[in-house]
Amino acid sequence: MSDSNLQLGVQGGTDLVSRMRTLLARRTEGRAAALLVVVVIVTLFLEPTTFTSYEVTLGRIAQVGLVALGLTAVILMGELDLAVASTLAVSGVIMASFDNLAMGIAAALVTGLVIGVVNAFFVVQVGINSFIATLGMLFFLRGLGFVISNEQPVPISNVDAGIQFGQPLIGPLTPRMLIFIVLFVALQVFVTRVRVGREFYAVGGNRQAAYDAGIPVKARVYLGFVISGMVAALAGVMNTLERTAADPTAGSTVLLSSFAAAIIGGILLTGGRGSVFGTLLGATTLGILQVALTFSGIQVDVQNIIIGVVLLLAVISDPATIRAVFSNARAFFSNRSAPQAQGG
Amino acid sequence: MSQDTSTDTTSDAAAPEPVAEQTLGLDQQETSAVQWLAERGIFVFTTVLIVVAAIFVDGFASLVNITDVFNRAAPIGIVAAGMTFVVISANYLDLSVVAQVATSAVVLIAVSNTAGLLAAFGVAIVIAIVYGFVNGVAVGVFKANAVIVTLATTFIGIGLLRWRSGGSIYFGSEDSLIRAFGTTKIGPFPLSMVVFVLVSLALSYVLTRTTFGFVIKAFGSNPEATRLAGVNTAWVVIGAFMLSAFGAMIGGFVLAAFSNTAVSSMSGGFDFEALAAIVIGGTSVFGGKGSVMRTLLGVIFVSVLSNIMVLSGLGFGVQQMAIGALIVAAVSLDAIARKAATA
Repeated sequence: MSDSNLQLGVQGGTDLVSRMRTLLARRTEGRAAALLVVVVIVTLFLEPTTFTSYEVTLGRIAQVGLVALGLTAVILMGELDLAVASTLAVSGVIMASFDNLAMGIAAALVTGLVIGVVNAFFVVQVGINSFIATLGMLFFLRGLGFVISNEQPVPISNVDAGIQFGQPLIGPLTPRMLIFIVLFVALQVFVTRVRVGREFYAVGGNRQAAYDAGIPVKARVYLGFVISGMVAALAGVMNTLERTAADPTAGSTVLLSSFAAAIIGGILLTGGRGSVFGTLLGATTLGILQVALTFSGIQVDVQNIIIGVVLLLAVISDPATIRAVFSNARAFFSNRSAPQAQGG
Repeated sequence: MSQDTSTDTTSDAAAPEPVAEQTLGLDQQETSAVQWLAERGIFVFTTVLIVVAAIFVDGFASLVNITDVFNRAAPIGIVAAGMTFVVISANYLDLSVVAQVATSAVVLIAVSNTAGLLAAFGVAIVIAIVYGFVNGVAVGVFKANAVIVTLATTFIGIGLLRWRSGGSIYFGSEDSLIRAFGTTKIGPFPLSMVVFVLVSLALSYVLTRTTFGFVIKAFGSNPEATRLAGVNTAWVVIGAFMLSAFGAMIGGFVLAAFSNTAVSSMSGGFDFEALAAIVIGGTSVFGGKGSVMRTLLGVIFVSVLSNIMVLSGLGFGVQQMAIGALIVAAVSLDAIARKAATA
């Protein structure tokens, strides 16, 4: 009697809680939003210059977030693209090798497209794990960048365009920030409102089911890698313009911070869950954190420690993971944390 | 390989599935050429490469050059041998070896300069245990993705090391044991190569002759079945990362001894280069399949190839391209062989 009452009481009491829990479990941005709020509040007290000189902060966010946006498309389908950093480097070098700026930019973007297609070919047609396929591409493209550039930075011929690129265009917004905003909106609309984009979630959630439902899975994976490759190439173009020279060694930090932004944004590496908006939150958090730490005169090394700790906490504090750890192992293996298809 | 090693406990733990999968290609009478190459390709390719190099490449077969190849192969090889366990347990790789190798190298030189060699070993061992435990718990208990976890520990580890060391270069004393270790040779073999072979043999023993090795393969090919067989899978993952950490520690010692100097940036690229050697050796990134001896061959193959390219005047860029192409080729071969096996 008392047992059943207790049970009923518990159930009644947890109804609202469980509904909220369901809501929280369905959204993946919760942790990112919470972390962002904490970072913003702490920064407001300790280093308010981060917000008064917001041009710097916005620029940093656009820089950290751009490649992460492209990665999001690939990770949503449960794949990885480790080649983004090398893609960035090699497309920058190719762009700088052209005398004509427009031709160079076009060539760089085509490079990104081709790289995306090649990555997807190995993943889809040959059936290699995307982690390893893109690892091979990471080496190959880095080598290619070194070969084309002769292991030297390649200056662009049109230096004026590069200097212009760093200047504000609309209000305080530089072209980099504008491109970032446009790309974010485009991708957000694409994966939430466009059928093809929504199918990315289905492919990541359950590939077999997606295939059975008539979704052209292979074409979607191709598209994902092409998006990731072209966005990385675009980032390469912008970095090259800003520095008025292409750096063939560019990359390793890009790879780390892009993954960090996406992961802090709450995306699930197994695919099917996460959102472009979450990645934006992750990039914003990282950007503010980096700028605030720099402004407070904290060494780069200590900054890396802090970012590493945040990343580690982000990856082990995934709600599904926490549930899995604290519930019994059987519940975990009967797929309670299974990816659910959902639109952002 | 797996049959003669199974004891009472291990045969339970391993479940029939991985064993069947392993022997699938060998038991069938008609194994295709692709499968045969995927199984034994690395032996053939390494032998062919060395023979061809010895005949056609000027300066390859000299004592100085071979010693140089070994000196370069040993640190990365020891790291790769340890990391093989992480790959076999289907956790992709341990990116944090970059931080671990540099830390262990700096600790060896810096601490032994002030507090003696034994203290340096002690500190390095404690650090290795911490790395293995943190990575292992995050991946094994919290089921977090190993790539991201070890990425985070790399950030933290390199940050801590640079912060504490100030990024400065540490020089060992000229009359120390470390210096003696780095310069001693047995014939063409530097002591570092002897250590590499010994570590490989020991780790190979662990993988093929112990319960832990057996369980780790089982876990790599089917974590669910391994768990249902009553294995505490969290400890399997922690164990894999521990072995990786110890490989990285010894790799760092050898690297520091080679030049008798240590700096926080000396191990850049060790993560992916070690993985490249493991994958080219034929250990499957899907987990469950592979061996330390394959990694040994993979390391030798990559080192000899790089050496040939250097001797032929090819630049760093071309070497990187070749390694990238090799990774994709090796894994494509594995993937195609898998398709053929299931078809």
